[in-house]
Amino acid sequence: MDMSGTREIAAPRAEVWARLNDPETLRACIPGCEELSGSPEEGFEAVVKQKIGPVKATFRGAVEISDVVPLESYHLSGSGQGGVAGFAKGSAEVVLRDTEAGTELTYTVNAILGGKLAQLGARLINSVSKKLADQFFERFQAELEGPLEDDSAA
Amino acid sequence: MMYDFRFTRPSDVNEAVAAFEASEDAAFVSGGHTLLPTMKNRLAAPSDLIHLAGLSELKGIAREGDRLVIGAAETHAAVAASPIVQDAIPALAQLAGSIGDMQVRHRGTMGGSVANNDPSADYPAAVLGLGATIVTSTREIAADDYFEGMFTTALEPGEILTRIAFPIPQSAGYAKMRNPASRYAMAAAFVAQTSGGVRVAITGAGAEGVFRWAEAEAALGASFDIAALDGLTLDPDEMIGDMHASAGYRAHLAAVCTRRAVKHPGQLTLL
Repeated sequence: MDMSGTREIAAPRAEVWARLNDPETLRACIPGCEELSGSPEEGFEAVVKQKIGPVKATFRGAVEISDVVPLESYHLSGSGQGGVAGFAKGSAEVVLRDTEAGTELTYTVNAILGGKLAQLGARLINSVSKKLADQFFERFQAELEGPLEDDSAA
Repeated sequence: MMYDFRFTRPSDVNEAVAAFEASEDAAFVSGGHTLLPTMKNRLAAPSDLIHLAGLSELKGIAREGDRLVIGAAETHAAVAASPIVQDAIPALAQLAGSIGDMQVRHRGTMGGSVANNDPSADYPAAVLGLGATIVTSTREIAADDYFEGMFTTALEPGEILTRIAFPIPQSAGYAKMRNPASRYAMAAAFVAQTSGGVRVAITGAGAEGVFRWAEAEAALGASFDIAALDGLTLDPDEMIGDMHASAGYRAHLAAVCTRRAVKHPGQLTLL
């Protein structure tokens, strides 16, 4: 499963970078995340629960951060186990760039999914992945940009 | 090897709701053709199954003035075979008759299908295309307010869909291309001429499930013929892409289905 996207976030690059490396922010933004611990140096571990239609699955995963260019980019690699539901293994590239309005964040994901979920849900994998990624970035953007009311103060 | 769960047969809707609220992690089961395979594959393990398909309150097919009212527990086979449905909205009867296979049609129910809102299912296209009203254990919901995305509806946990009231249209047609193995819609269009204008509901193609194609509705409202659809396209970025069909192909297919539904009102057309 390959996926990529770009979001423009109205916040300075240094702040976006800091929050991307912050376990509290990540835990709040990852859809269904119940536990998240670790650090950029040691890597992160997480427990994520998702319900989609009739399917309910709990995934335990770990990611490592490497190829760090501070304030600019990093490479994530990791894997997750969902018990009988299946497993995932993959990597992602995250790149930050300055823009007039703030920061442009670009992500590229390559993942392989296996097990029951991948076998039975093949027709839905792309849509569900995109939906979860969108949810993550919506929350991340909201965390950084603050609630809409704040923006209205000119 | 069997996993434990409690199976409850409530005698009415109130008991069913109470049973749901009293349990740790319950699931309603109607026809079971979505839930049971999921459980067999260990992708869901509810503590309680609450059986709805036997409830007499959820049965019934009747014409009430200018509306066709169908109980949530009516099977696809019953809807397809009903002379009342065949007379009032023949495309709906034929849509029901095209779902899955015979075994599925004799267990699967309209309520289960609409409560689940699979992005490739058929009934959501009819419900949205006809502007139906979804009646639940607590309220009534207009079709336009009911579908909230893939597998997501306005139903609250524990809220039971009891029946659906379909306004009888001047005409309605349904055209679909079925996946040859699963018979799910790879793309399908339900086109209805209603008292409130033309409605076009697309299923099988959109990444977020069933949706109304507003551009096509406006064009057909001005002139109800396939020429009105010339040049109108759907955005591949919003379509499902998988091993069965690319997003671009589904966008194209959905438009073709819309034309076929316009060309053949009063029936189901299989591509």
